[in-house]
Amino acid sequence: MTPNDDLERRFERMLHDPLTRRRLMKRGAAGALSLSALSYLAACGTRTGGVIESGSGDSDMIKKTKISDSLWFSNWPLYIEEDRGTLKEFQEEYGTEIKYVEEINDNTEFFGKVRQQYERGDSGGRDIHVVTDWMAARMIRLGYVQRFDPAAITTAQQNLIDRLRTPPFDPGRDYSMPWQSGFGGIIYRKDKVKREPKSVDDLFDPDYKGKVTMLTEMRDTVGVVAAGMGFDPETATKDEFLEAIARIGEASDSGQIRGFTGNEYTKDITKGDSWVIIGWSGDAVQLEADNPNIKFISPETGVHLWTDNMQIPVGAPHAYTAEKFIDFVYRPEVQADIAEYVNYICPVEGVQEILAKRSPELANNQLIFPDDATLEKAFIFRQLRPEEEREIDEAFQKVIGA
Amino acid sequence: MSARIRKAGLPYLLLLPGLGWLAVFFLIPLGYTAFESLKAGTLDTGFIFDWQFSNYTDAISDYNEQFLRSFEYAALATIAGLLIGYPLAYFIAFRGGKWRNAMLLAVIAPFFVTYLIRTLSWETILSDSGFVVDTLKSVGILGEDGRLLDTTFSVIAGITYNFLPFMILPLYASLERVDHRLLEAGYDLYGRRRDVFLRVTLPLSMPGVVAGSLLMFIPAAGDFINAELLGTPNQYMIGNVIQSRYLEIGDYPTAAALSFILMAVMLAIVLIWARIAGTEALLGTEGEAR
Repeated sequence: MTPNDDLERRFERMLHDPLTRRRLMKRGAAGALSLSALSYLAACGTRTGGVIESGSGDSDMIKKTKISDSLWFSNWPLYIEEDRGTLKEFQEEYGTEIKYVEEINDNTEFFGKVRQQYERGDSGGRDIHVVTDWMAARMIRLGYVQRFDPAAITTAQQNLIDRLRTPPFDPGRDYSMPWQSGFGGIIYRKDKVKREPKSVDDLFDPDYKGKVTMLTEMRDTVGVVAAGMGFDPETATKDEFLEAIARIGEASDSGQIRGFTGNEYTKDITKGDSWVIIGWSGDAVQLEADNPNIKFISPETGVHLWTDNMQIPVGAPHAYTAEKFIDFVYRPEVQADIAEYVNYICPVEGVQEILAKRSPELANNQLIFPDDATLEKAFIFRQLRPEEEREIDEAFQKVIGA
Repeated sequence: MSARIRKAGLPYLLLLPGLGWLAVFFLIPLGYTAFESLKAGTLDTGFIFDWQFSNYTDAISDYNEQFLRSFEYAALATIAGLLIGYPLAYFIAFRGGKWRNAMLLAVIAPFFVTYLIRTLSWETILSDSGFVVDTLKSVGILGEDGRLLDTTFSVIAGITYNFLPFMILPLYASLERVDHRLLEAGYDLYGRRRDVFLRVTLPLSMPGVVAGSLLMFIPAAGDFINAELLGTPNQYMIGNVIQSRYLEIGDYPTAAALSFILMAVMLAIVLIWARIAGTEALLGTEGEAR
């Protein structure tokens, strides 16, 4: 049996299950609707609590159990308050001790680590993991995550901001709940550049030769560059993405690009070894607080908007408690503490009002609470079919030296 | 059981823990890697064993650049290591006096700090706005927009630095064993300092040169930390490719095939080296024999 057969079999199975097919069609419809980021994001209010026929007896839905003593939460580094106050509050209320593991540095790397376990239906002890949209979509496609019981996450359903309610890969938010969102755009050193970099072309300006870094996260780097070349990452063809990758490759070969980074770009730009880079908005807010010369800018051609999502993997030993925790972080007063520290786009309604009293500069920051004008510039990287994804990934990995 | 059999079996019995260790932690993983290297498939759908020998040919044609670069960097670092390490080892062995042990300790002292931290501090030292670059710029050695970090130079320098003790210690061990009476005999026969060094000291220290070169070259060729932290994708070595194929992309068959190719090339280099230099030199027994 070839690997492709296996994949087809999965799709087949999905199509033959009436409930999943309905969901699949809904997903298609939502996908068609979301031609622009704004329309997807601002697609107001189709309250989706009712999408799932409650009590339909689905076997994959998480069942109510007792609250457990422990909970394993896998997350990215620096993605919760330094003192982990949220986890302590949860423990005080529910008596659950949370094992918080910062083990995710890269979506692909994490997938490689857990794939075999998840395939067996074993979560490896994890109860919640946090992955970016496209990886969340893959986890759902492969059946690696469990379906929420809407009754267990009422706070989350109520407080999730409207524009994140109906992503094409999970239109009912049945399998994923946003942790934080953010922008992938340009970060620069005000004291080093000759003028404010307004477009992606500044990354390719010979004056900045050897002072440019880009992210190893394909969708951030390729999305921003492709948009700068006049393509729309929400609809671009495979060849257009490959063209953008070729441009990045040339710049890397010529020494224009100094390197490709994960989170560690923050230290290069702080030291001044890089001047104009592709980086993430939340980091930029934190970096700017330490060094006012570091600025984030959304290029005129577009900034990449992504969301990291909490999911409950198959075989999670404490799935019900995990749901309770997801629900817990959607209380505005709990989320306010997280937002105050991580400085990414906050997915919870009501937090802005709390922060307006506590730290007004954060409440007014477009990178944390973006308004429609800011979001108009944002694009969402379109969903790739598995075979397109493989080809684009392969080409990109070649360029970044992997 | 008779005493004789027990006696004959004893050496094997003593070998058992070592053999067991090798079997569990070397042979089994090796076999598993070989098995993995012949699979076909993708991460999404899983990998299936399929005698996929094209993994090897594809790996060579896709990554010959990184392979060649690895051997080039490792060879340059080994030569640099010899040039730095030999005079140092010579000095410690012949002129060290009571400071010998202290100096040897200084050679291995960096090992008290973990490899990663040492390399990261080089990143800071060689930084574009660091004092090294500033100084070199002010004396005109480095051009106005020149840099040290993220260049071929910094990667080779990093490898040299990190593996230098592996070169110095065997060199020291063989130089320290040189019988001083042989040198005196050389001078008595009207040998000049240069002749005595070239005809007596150097040949006697060859086992150290051979062992040091191998100890430095082998890990250097498989290294990925230096290229990752001190270089750019244009400096990436085969270790970087294997690391990212395994851990980041999850392309296990290619990574396994690359590991095997690297092992085979290393083995070939060691065998050729042993052929040229002689196995006595390799085992370090030559010095004692004379």
